[in-house]
Amino acid sequence: MSSKRASTMPAPPKPPTSLASSLIIAEHASLTGTHLITLGPNTVVHPRARFNSAHAPITVGSNCIICERSLIGFQSDAAANERKGAVIENGVVIEVGAVVEARTVGEGTVVEVQAKIGKGAVLGKHCKIGPLCEIAEGEVIPDFTVVYGNGMRRLDSSGVEDLKLKMVARQIEVLKKLIPSNLAKFQ
Amino acid sequence: MASFTPYTYFKCPCTDASIPSRNLGDEQPPETEENSDDDRTFDPRAPRSNYSLYPLEHLLYCEDCHQIRCPRCVLDEIVTWYCPNCLFEVPSSTVKSEGNRCTRSCFQCPICVAPLSVSSLEAPPQGLGAELASQQNGPFVLNCAYCMWSSKEIGIQFEKPNGIFAQLAKIKNGGLPILTAKDRRKDREERKRDFSGSSAAEESQESEAPINLDPNERLDPESQFSNLKAFYQTQMAESSPVSALGFTGDYGYGSPGALSRIMGLYTGGSFADKKSKTKSGTMREARDALEGLQIDPLSSDEAITKLRTEGWESTASAEQRHEQTTHTPFLSDLRPIAYLLRTKRSKRCKTCRHILSKPESKVQTTRFRIRLVALNYIPSITIKPLQPPLPTASPLLAPLKPVQFLLTFKNPLFDSVKVTVATPAKTPGRFPTKVTVLCPQFEVGANTDVWDEALRDNHKSSSLSGEKRRTKAEASEGQHQAEAGKVWERGRNWVSVVVEVVPPSLRIGGSEWLKSEEMKRDSGNVRDGEEVVEIPVFVRVEWEGEVGGEESGLGGGGKEKEVREKRELAYWCVLGLGKVAVD
Repeated sequence: MSSKRASTMPAPPKPPTSLASSLIIAEHASLTGTHLITLGPNTVVHPRARFNSAHAPITVGSNCIICERSLIGFQSDAAANERKGAVIENGVVIEVGAVVEARTVGEGTVVEVQAKIGKGAVLGKHCKIGPLCEIAEGEVIPDFTVVYGNGMRRLDSSGVEDLKLKMVARQIEVLKKLIPSNLAKFQ
Repeated sequence: MASFTPYTYFKCPCTDASIPSRNLGDEQPPETEENSDDDRTFDPRAPRSNYSLYPLEHLLYCEDCHQIRCPRCVLDEIVTWYCPNCLFEVPSSTVKSEGNRCTRSCFQCPICVAPLSVSSLEAPPQGLGAELASQQNGPFVLNCAYCMWSSKEIGIQFEKPNGIFAQLAKIKNGGLPILTAKDRRKDREERKRDFSGSSAAEESQESEAPINLDPNERLDPESQFSNLKAFYQTQMAESSPVSALGFTGDYGYGSPGALSRIMGLYTGGSFADKKSKTKSGTMREARDALEGLQIDPLSSDEAITKLRTEGWESTASAEQRHEQTTHTPFLSDLRPIAYLLRTKRSKRCKTCRHILSKPESKVQTTRFRIRLVALNYIPSITIKPLQPPLPTASPLLAPLKPVQFLLTFKNPLFDSVKVTVATPAKTPGRFPTKVTVLCPQFEVGANTDVWDEALRDNHKSSSLSGEKRRTKAEASEGQHQAEAGKVWERGRNWVSVVVEVVPPSLRIGGSEWLKSEEMKRDSGNVRDGEEVVEIPVFVRVEWEGEVGGEESGLGGGGKEKEVREKRELAYWCVLGLGKVAVD
């Protein structure tokens, strides 16, 4: 394999960031844009995760896991009521390849592999958006909803939210040992 | 427009062996075009030919009959039964007694059909040594990892994490226990004993507390069936006369009870008959739930109030209800679905009973003990256009414009074969395609190993190998013009020939004399499938094989003094080349 040619394009803008000290962010994560990106404590950002704050700021809470190739942030101009940009609350897991343009992702929600959340959608707490599922722009998903299959929805009444949050915390402990963090590159 | 992949289908000869139908009266037999006589061509569009055409990968080959066998003409035998979830091999005796579902802990979610896993309800242990504590005591539930359903939603919890099937059979939705068939039988026997004598009451009290069954209880279908069956058995025993030999009732024409009864009719009333007649009573129907009677409630108020309060979302969908065995209008009635067992089957030739395919009985291995597939016996055909299509060009064939396709015949046998290809000049059907095979007869080399061939080349004279190299060089130069009578390209065990095809015009109107016979009779719109260019090809393969053992071994075996027998095999194929553009 020949050595890679360095790109001659101008480097993308480096956004202003506010990173918690206990954040784990991989070196190959990509933060681009002009608005503020806030990443909370104890969160893990895998390599190749993409944050794009070109149109609106991004806020991520604590104890979150943002997996590879996911795309967080508005991809087009924010409306008046979306000035705060994308807000991801505590304990959220964004799986591989998910595209999250939601206004709010509630606490403990899991956005599964390659799901697409439309711009300005509001996801409630402890939801589960199944793999490859799509949420339309501006849609409001109530708490505890499970979106699965071909657009099917149901309410999750299994009562295991606390267990799930504990599992996410355990996963973060393991990931801390596996992913070397490079905070300085993004500050 | 969806892209079209060229296909080759092979016709199994099993459909030819059917006996021609007799015509009663003077009716003329309708013209049939599916005849496989050499003078009649095979019509791939006939409705019946749909059942005899298969891709080569689906066909097996019988070595004794030297014939192709298709999935419709093989006999299936079951080798093993296994659960697709836990891969546990179930003996066929268990399948006969317990049924064709997994009786361990394998269940599907009634909402989304994903596999259910067993987990404990108690909180995971905290503190030091938490990872080492593996014992889980709490009540167990089944939950679905996909739609987050849990058996708590239907009120079912389990005491043990294993043997869920047995535990589930004893619990109704909502947590109430179901009385098993055993319990009901015990209760019935106790009632019988109570009826006959009071001394039995003491006995029953010693054994277990008597189960008090409600005469109006709502029974699930299994309990109702067992109650009814027991009831009718007692009725039959009471009402039918006990014949001299002790059998109750007559078991058909030949039984001695029936014989004596019929003879009794002829001889008139004798003392013996009158005595036996007094014993018989009349049969009656079930009276209450203990005997199996279930009266549907006159009003469906319960269901209506439930619908009013919970709404449409609480009802089960048609697919969810389809999987359940009982009537389940609401989501709360749904129960986990046990996995259906799957089978591994061996296939036999219908005529000679030779085993064609036999998988290993071990479930985890996907290998086969015997595998006689057609791919290893008859040459495979692949199609590709001769001129590579331009990326911008339409994927459809232009009507009335000749186009050339390259057919590659690959020989899997260890002997070289002579292939003869025949095709009617015009394909059958309303829109005939004109077909010309440029090289109808050719020889394809044997499928020897590459090293064998290289070694053999060294022994042969250099001129021969030079010749071989020369033909290859010619081919690699690129014959820009396909010549009639010559193969396009040749390899170690494959040969490609050119077929020229003129697709028809799909126009319905037009002058009368241009129309084919069929077109005149039937002038409707272009039907689904008629725009595909499908050409029937009759392939005849001849080779010299050894008598007795089939595989000659790596090329060296043929040299010994073995009788070489001339063998041939002929079959029809259908080549789907492309779709015609509408003009």
